[in-house]
Amino acid sequence: MLRIENLVAGYGKVQVLQGISLHVPEGKLVTLIGSNGAGKTTTLRALSGMIKPESGKITLNGTDIAGLPAFKITRLGLAHSPEGRRIFPTLSVADNMVLGAFPRLTGARPKGDVQADIERNYDLFPRLGERKEQLAGTLSGGEQQMLAMSRALMLQPQVLLLDEPSMGLSPKLVEEVFIIINRLKREKITMLLVEQFAAAALEVADYGYVMENGRLSASGEASALKNDPAVRAAYLGQAH
Amino acid sequence: MQNFFQALVSGAAVGMIYAVIAFGYQLTFATSKTLNFGQGEALMLGGLVGLTVSSYTGYWIMLPIVMAFGLLQGSVVELLGVRQAIKIKSEAGWIMATIALGIIFLNLAENIWGRDDLKFPSPLSEQPLSFKGVNILPMEVLVVIGAVLLMIAVEVFNRKSIYGKAVVATSNDRDAAGLMGINTSAIITFSYALSSMAAAFAGVLVAPVTLTGATMGSALGLKAFAVAIIGGLSSGMGVIVGGLLLGVIETMTGLYFSTGYKDVPGLILLLLVLSFKPSGLFGKSTIKKV
Ligand SMILES: Nc1ncnc2c1ncn2[C@@H]1O[C@H](COP(=O)(O)OP(=O)(O)O)[C@@H](O)[C@H]1O
Ligand SMILES: [Mg+2]
Repeated sequence: MLRIENLVAGYGKVQVLQGISLHVPEGKLVTLIGSNGAGKTTTLRALSGMIKPESGKITLNGTDIAGLPAFKITRLGLAHSPEGRRIFPTLSVADNMVLGAFPRLTGARPKGDVQADIERNYDLFPRLGERKEQLAGTLSGGEQQMLAMSRALMLQPQVLLLDEPSMGLSPKLVEEVFIIINRLKREKITMLLVEQFAAAALEVADYGYVMENGRLSASGEASALKNDPAVRAAYLGQAH
Repeated sequence: MQNFFQALVSGAAVGMIYAVIAFGYQLTFATSKTLNFGQGEALMLGGLVGLTVSSYTGYWIMLPIVMAFGLLQGSVVELLGVRQAIKIKSEAGWIMATIALGIIFLNLAENIWGRDDLKFPSPLSEQPLSFKGVNILPMEVLVVIGAVLLMIAVEVFNRKSIYGKAVVATSNDRDAAGLMGINTSAIITFSYALSSMAAAFAGVLVAPVTLTGATMGSALGLKAFAVAIIGGLSSGMGVIVGGLLLGVIETMTGLYFSTGYKDVPGLILLLLVLSFKPSGLFGKSTIKKV
């Protein structure tokens, strides 16, 4: 569904990604783990067009999307819930949600039933339903994270990129977020999940990739990675 | 006391013109953090094109035509002058470009319509309405109503329509708006179009009260800029209050001191606001939780 070959990207002269190749098969949940500053967020930004890759190939469902502007990539069905949530603070929760469906409401993607999808999101995240008319900027961090995820889901994406949905949340909320991710996985939504909570991410994912200094250092079935001694030592806090 | 009320009424009409142009400054600032320093010239072009068109169609049918012209003219300014500067993240490029385009429009207008001020036929009676000795021109009433309606229309568009919400989203966070599938470059062009449309509309509202000519916009554009700073570049209410404030202060100064000093208090107000509340009287910081 989403395939990356030899991706090189960075910021200006700073090259962060040194040629990475990665595959997210249809209906699967793939996780990308690695320590702070490894280049995970940069990878997602290059995929969704927030930064222009220097070289390499990215295909979404066979279409080459490398270097396209972000809005075109979104219209091709790739949704990105970015690091830092980036919700629209002066708009209501409901309007944030509606904007997630912008391509559907403006004829760039099949329309479907937008209102029903909004209601479904309120079922998934009841706290958002209670705050529909509230300005998104007044939500708590956890609620903003839920809004960012549900806004991305409003695209009815072919692939969903999630950048650290658990960042800054209380342990109870982290657990809730992972329950939701599991639910999306059962609905066969194709996902690429970036996480610091490597153990939890490998628990829920089908496949995993480990990133170190802009390169992929290990990959495989999530269950295998979870038991890999090197990965355990470096990322799962079980070095002995 | 009669004079006082007279000055209040005339000041309000001028003030609403300032408000509409200042509103235009806000529109482009919101989406792109840039301003069209040729707003005064956009107003002037609106007035002169309106004069020519209305000689064929009459005043009312001319209005939508002039507004369409404003949309087009604003798009040209953005595409030729601003887009390139934004792309290379030039700090001052857009300032030079919009000023330069303003000068070009001014020269163009002088060549087409000449240098003299022209009389713009009023669509309404030029007999003032008299309330207890205070004279109000029907056109002044139209100025206030038209200005308010325009601002309400844009506000409703922003709140209710999906494209309006896309404009607000772009103002909030351009990159995140791009992730929603919004073509934010097109949104910025659109905000320039809308801003020039507002100015052109202000031009045909004010022209029957004053006169119309190639230089009619320069002072208005500058004063509206002061209003945008006084009211705050991000507050819709701010430009209305700021515009009324400046308009009324000006006419009062003309009344109680001398018309020669009428521009002074506004400038003093501008300097005071810049020193003590640079975000404007009504400027607010956006709510943003991290
Ligand atoms: N906007 C930016 N400009 C320049 N360098 C950046 C920017 N964002 C991130 N970097 C650098 O890129 C590297 C990878 O960062 P990032 O992709 O955010 O890592 P991760 O998400 O894995 O924590 C880091 O060294 C970081 O300092
Ligand atoms: Mg990151």
